[in-house]
Parts: sequence; structure tokens; C-alpha cells
Amino acid sequence: MTTIPGTAVRSVSEAVGAERLSGGEGRVIDGIRPAAAVAPESTEEVSRVLGAARRDGLGVAPRGGGTRMGLGGPPERYDLSLDTSRLDRVAAHNPADLTATVEAGITLDALRESLEEHGQFLAMDAPRPDLATVGGTLAAGAIGPLKWQFGSPRDLVVGMKVVQANGRVTKSGGRVVKNVSGYDMARLHVGGLGTLGVIVEVSFKLTPLPRRQATLLAAFDDSGPALSAGLAISNGWAAPLAMVTFDAEANRRGGFTGSARGYFLAVRLGGRPRTLDRQIDDCRRSCDRHGAVCLEVVDAAGTPVLWSKIRDLGWMDDDAPEYTARASVPSSRLPGLIAGLETGGPAPAVVAEPGYGSALVHWFADGERDAVSGAVADARVGAVHAGGSLVLERRPMGSRKIDPWGEVGGSLSIMRRMKERYDPARILNPGRFVGGI
Amino acid sequence: MSANAELIADLEAVVGGAYVLHEPEDLIVYEYDGSVDRGLPAAVVLPASTEEVSGVVRAARRHGAPIVPRGAGTGLSGGAIAHQGGVVAALTRMTRILEVDVDNRFAVVEPGVVNLDLTHAVERHGLYYAPDPSSQKACTIGGNVAENSGGPHCLAYGVTTNHVLGLEVVTADGSVHWLGGRTRESPGYDLRGVVVGSEGTLAIVTKAAVRLLRRPEAVKTLLAVFRELDDASAAVSGVIAAGIVPAAIEMMDELCIRAAEQSVHAGYPTGAGAVLLVEVDGLREAVDEEVDEVERVCLRYRPMEIRTATDPEERERLWAGRKGVLGALGRLAPNYYLVDGTIPRTRLVEVLSRIREISAETGLPIANLLHAGDGNLHPSVLFDERNPDEARTALEIGGRILELCLEVGGVLSGEHGIGLEKQEYFSLMFDDDDMESMAQLKPAFDTGDAFNPGKIFPAGASCVDVFQSAAVARAGAGAWV
Repeated sequence: MTTIPGTAVRSVSEAVGAERLSGGEGRVIDGIRPAAAVAPESTEEVSRVLGAARRDGLGVAPRGGGTRMGLGGPPERYDLSLDTSRLDRVAAHNPADLTATVEAGITLDALRESLEEHGQFLAMDAPRPDLATVGGTLAAGAIGPLKWQFGSPRDLVVGMKVVQANGRVTKSGGRVVKNVSGYDMARLHVGGLGTLGVIVEVSFKLTPLPRRQATLLAAFDDSGPALSAGLAISNGWAAPLAMVTFDAEANRRGGFTGSARGYFLAVRLGGRPRTLDRQIDDCRRSCDRHGAVCLEVVDAAGTPVLWSKIRDLGWMDDDAPEYTARASVPSSRLPGLIAGLETGGPAPAVVAEPGYGSALVHWFADGERDAVSGAVADARVGAVHAGGSLVLERRPMGSRKIDPWGEVGGSLSIMRRMKERYDPARILNPGRFVGGI
Repeated sequence: MSANAELIADLEAVVGGAYVLHEPEDLIVYEYDGSVDRGLPAAVVLPASTEEVSGVVRAARRHGAPIVPRGAGTGLSGGAIAHQGGVVAALTRMTRILEVDVDNRFAVVEPGVVNLDLTHAVERHGLYYAPDPSSQKACTIGGNVAENSGGPHCLAYGVTTNHVLGLEVVTADGSVHWLGGRTRESPGYDLRGVVVGSEGTLAIVTKAAVRLLRRPEAVKTLLAVFRELDDASAAVSGVIAAGIVPAAIEMMDELCIRAAEQSVHAGYPTGAGAVLLVEVDGLREAVDEEVDEVERVCLRYRPMEIRTATDPEERERLWAGRKGVLGALGRLAPNYYLVDGTIPRTRLVEVLSRIREISAETGLPIANLLHAGDGNLHPSVLFDERNPDEARTALEIGGRILELCLEVGGVLSGEHGIGLEKQEYFSLMFDDDDMESMAQLKPAFDTGDAFNPGKIFPAGASCVDVFQSAAVARAGAGAWV
């Protein structure tokens, strides 16, 4: 179905007023510019927008900070950009209970600042927290290095309010940390790319900020020993907040350390003073045993700076890769996967998480597009062969050579039925999710 | 041949005659679980493999018989009750641990594997399976997945859903699907995440890939005894507010203490009004520092006594009173009705005091046992079922406590599920749109009413009556929380 641009504008301005509307420039997805952008100021307005969209069959792409609009396939229809950034309030923060309820459009930075005053944080990081919103980060599953310790943010969500494609506002879960009351609907929306509903409010469990933090930074001759040291640390007693390896190319682009050559391991540690010292010692020994050529401890002041750089690599506007992929494999298969990336075609910048089993791979193409897309396809084969998956988080505009999600197997039939049930008119991000959902 | 006989014949063709039970004396064993409800199935079938589960589902569906999946039957909300008859699919023969991957720290198990058996099977590698419901010597991983079970140590380590990587399930058409996988992330909707905690209503789990954790380097247990319940509650809030998240914080009130004293002689001082049990684990240094801090917090609330222990035997002694308490409640009254709800941790003092008021007003004693660290209450109403007035009052009290939980911003169930027990309260927490949205999962899984029909969602007034007349709470050592 094609929609005349005027319909979208008329239908949405009737629903929430023309003052909430703006033009679609700057909201392009895969070369498609929507007829309009709308920024509702309340859940009720989101509901009215979706009601209108459904009535008129508009294609809607929900948007938080706009950092992940490159995730997913090309939209089947795209008439309206639904901007959640005005839903940016902290609805409730109960510091003594370590819980908070926030609107979906609040940025990660704004939330961090608000929680930090109480010595707490939400253990979910994502690139560009100045832009990235809570709702967008959850919908995109776009998580950063803190997942090493704290896991997927779906494990931090205790309750969620969603506006469904039919405009109905529904909630699941609660505001307490332990709950088995009804189906855990929030799970479908975390990583669901807004295809089943628009997240408008989320309740989280929070974590006390570590008393002190430091980072152990070790350099090795190549990836093998760096990954082995990381694996040894994850099998030891230390409990890193985050742990990544990165190659010289990632280091050169991200400016993580001054060294020009080598393969690096960074271990972010936290705790009370004696606990922190003990962990640094343990990790240092593991690095020594695996042939570290250089060891450095980054102090409490330097640690957040270093980890912001690691987290944001590939997501800065002035140095955007051609392709970014996230591979998830059993941890023991990570060295093999990375060895494959190093030898197969144009060398990417790789930030991997030993012990967790994931790798973020950025290909910065400098005029070698075909070779790069070949390397990306090979990396997918490598990840699947290792018993995992590889998702493209960014690809060149209009490129349809590689399915951004890959195969999801036999459960695709159930996923398709989910979409049919929750968005039968296919108004929410149609065509962009797995299997063309 | 009668319809029932045809169903049984079809089931026997799948699993063999020895594994289909249909004589009344065999069925009666499967009539109840750990809850207050009962229901007699037409048949109980014990499949031994995914293929057999699939065959059982196809056969039962051909006859239009609902299927109630069942693990060890330790659930407390009626999840395993065949209250509409049909076929109980008992998964207790599927007890193989199929794979233990030490390097990647996961195991793939069949649903009938007993929770604690999994930990025993992997402990020689220094690993364990973290969710530890108090029934862990009996309950199964499949049942844990269905109910999203917790346990004392889920304060720090999370509940079942935080530990399941992937599930193999049989859906209502008999087809087999893997949801999730063996890695931490898989593309697509998190179907695994909605099946966990779905109380056996969406699919039958035939394999589970679960994470294994490394045993902590050190564990230390602190027991603090208070004269007043309010002081113990305030200490719990104080510990959380101080930014400490111990592995477990358990609490018992005066009635529980009295029962525990009588049965296991835990050695609590006379006049004790509340006992707090705090366990901290992790790195040696962290454990020492945190236990010191927990102790400092407790000291602010006038404890009668504080004991700490590090070696396993001593720790076990500190836990003995807590672990024996539910069985011991039988010494105080012939029956108890155990209520499960969660509240914000900051509301403990207030809610426990309101529960005391309810007890005083109704004349029925209420023993409070709490996973206090995460605000999960287990008030147990003591009564005598031979007195119908008391039985009715006990159920009413349960309802009032749940309403109280909701009033202060809590939820209907922390770890036992809704099942049959709480379905009539469900609409107090969720409106029609919420419930409609949840109910859509069944057609999305194409489940219809094939699995565990009539659970979770409100069934209408008539079923309240059924529930209340069937509510005969059994006291004794057979239940765990």
C-alpha cells in the first residue's frame, strides 16, 4: 500500500495537534524519508498517534535518540517517525528500594546523573548515552560492555508499559524486584525493535555504585593470549564489571591507549578498597601467566573515560564504519571466530568480550565495498559455524546483500504469529525485523 | 470403546502401556500438588523423550483433552492441578543431564532433572546452578522454568529466567522448537523469556540450556536476633539502603521462631521477636568487608544477639532454624495457608504491622517467613480445617494480604505463580487491556486451550466457589518456601 504524504500529516495532526508534528527530514531510514515526524508528550498521545496510524495504515518507526536507526532491514512502509524524546521524566525513584520507574525517552546520561546523586546506577550502558534513550536501547538490544557483569538489560527490567499497535496502553510486571504475576511481556519488547509495541515506561532494578573502580589494561603480542588471559580471569575469583579485548585497529581509531602495536585486554573492576586490590592482583597474575608484555592500572578518574571510548567506538559521527556486526558465540569459540576475522579479507576493528562470548566488529571500508561485504558474509558463516549468530547493527544505506539478522531457525513461525497478533495491520517498523517481520 | 479408553489406547501407543496411568488408585497420586487445590485427570502419561512428548500432545489433542504438564508437583499455586480433567504429562522420567559444558558454563538438561541433582552433577567442576527454591531436593528444572522459581539466594543471583539460555519446547501442534540458544544473545523475539514463568500454559519444555555459576570463593552467614519485628524489618531496609546486596536476607517472626525452636532447637534466645539471616558470598575480602557492614547496620537496631559463621557446618547450623520452619508450623496448628506476595522493601515495617492487625482482628495467628531482601513475603495463616469458619477466614485473610501487597505497590506473587490460587485476584493488578494483551500469547503460540487451560486468568465467579470449597490446606513437612 502506498500512502500519500498528506494523509499522514492530516491524520496525526488531528490526533495530537499540528504543533507536535515536524517534517521528515533528518529521519531518513535506508534512504526513505517519512512524510512527518511526531513527538508526543504523553503516553495518551502515543496511544492517539498509533490509533490514527492504524486507522490510516501508516508505517511508523519509533525513535529514541536515533543512534540505532541503521539496525534492521529496509522498512516496507515508512510514513511517520514517532519520537519518544519528550517522554523523558523519572516517574519514580525509590533509592532505599533500589528501583526506579522512568519514561522511555529519557537519555541514559540524564538518568545516570539523576541516579548517581543517590550512589546508584542502572547497569545498562550503550554507545552515545548523550543521545541514546532507555526505550531505544531496550528495543534495539543495543547494549555495551557492562553486560559482562550484569547481563542483558531484560534482566534489569521489572515492569514495562507499552502502547500496542492498536493504541491500547498495557502494562506487565510491577515495580518490585521479584515477581511472577502474569506473563513476562516485557521480554518481547526488549530486542524487539519496536515491532510489537512502543515502550513508553520502564521499571528497573538498580545497582549500588561500586565504592572504587579501576581498570587493568594489558598488552599482548596477539589475540590468542589476550583472549586466553580474559578467559582465565573469567574462570577465576575476580568479578569484573566489564572485560574486553581489542585489536590495534580499534585502539588506533578509538585512542584507548598510547601503544601503537599489540593486542589488548581491559578489565574494569570495582569494590571496596581491599576487594579492588585483590582483584587487580588476581587479574594481573592471569595476564602475566599468558604472556602480557605490558600492564597498566588505570585509576578511578581514568576508568570512566577509557570505558566511554571503548563503548562509543564506531558510534561517533566523524568516524562511522561501513558495517558493524555483533557476534554472539559460546565463549570458547571466540578465539577461533576472531582468528577468522583477522585472516579473511579487509581487517575490521574488533572489540570482544571473553567469558561472555560476544564480539563487536566494525569494518571501516576505504573504497573496498565488495571485499568488505564478502568479509561480513564470511564472518556470519563463522559465527553460525561456531554455534552462534551475527547481527548487523549497521550496514550501508540501501544494501540488501546480507540479511541483517541472519537465520533464526524454526521458531520464526511463532515469531511471525506474534507479529500477526500484536500488530496485524503491520504499522510498526514493518519489514525491518527478523525474517522480514 | 469409550472415548476415554480410546484416548488411553492412543497414549499407550506412544509411550507404552506401563507409562500410562488410568486406574483411580494411580490417578489419585496426581490429584494434588503443593497447593490447596485438587483435580482428577483422566490419565497420567509419563513420556521419556521429546518425541514421546510430541506424540502425547498430538494424541491428547486429537481427543480434545487438555494437557497439564507436571514436574515434581511441589508448586504452591495449583499449576500442576488437572482441575478440568484431561491428561497430566508428568515429565519425571526425563531426568538426563545431556551436556555439561564446563568451558562455557552451561548445561543442557531434560525437564525432569531435580534442581539439586544438577548442582551435584556439576560441583566437581566448581560450578552450581544458582536458583535454589527451598524445595530444591525435590522440584524439577522443568517446573522451575514454568513457575520462574526463585529461592533464598535469588536476591543476588536472580530467578530462573536469569539463568535459562534456551529451551526446547513442544507446542500444541506437536512440533518441536528451540527458543533462545546456548549463547547469551540470540536474534529475534525473546520467546524463551515469555515461556519462562508461563506456568505451563504455552508449551511443554523438553530441554533446557541453563547457565552454571562458579562457586564463590568465600561464604559468610550472619544471624541477628531482635526483640522486635520492626527492628529486624528496619535492619533489612538499612542493609539495602546502604548499597549492600547480599546473596540472601531471610527473616522469621516470633511464631516461626517458636515453631523452629520446638522442632529443630535452633538455640534462639527467649523473648526473640525476629531472626534475620544474612548470607554474603564472593571474594574473601569482599565477604569480610560486607559482613562487617551488615553487622554495623544491624547494631543500629538493638539486636539481642549476632552470630556469624564461615565454615559450612556452622553455617548449616545457623540455617537449620530457617530451613526447618515450615515443617515445624504443623506443631502450632493443624493447617496453614501460605501466602506469597512481594512488596517494595521499604514498606516491610508497615506491611508486617498491618498483617499483625489482620491477625488480631480475625483471631487467626499468622506466622511470617520472608525472603526479606527482595521484599517477598510468605505470611502463613494458621488454622484448623475441621472448623469451616476458620478455613474460610484463612482464605479471606490471604486475599486481604494480597490486596495489601498491591496497595503498597507490590505484586500478587513473588515466586509461586498465579495458577488457580490467585487467578481471581489477577484483575486487581491488571486491567482488561493488560490481560487481553497477555492472553494473545496463547494464539501466538497457537496453543488454544491445549496446555493447562483455565489457569492464571480470572475464570469468573463460579470458579471462585470451586476454589474456596476445594481449599483444604494441608500442613506438614511436604511444603517448602
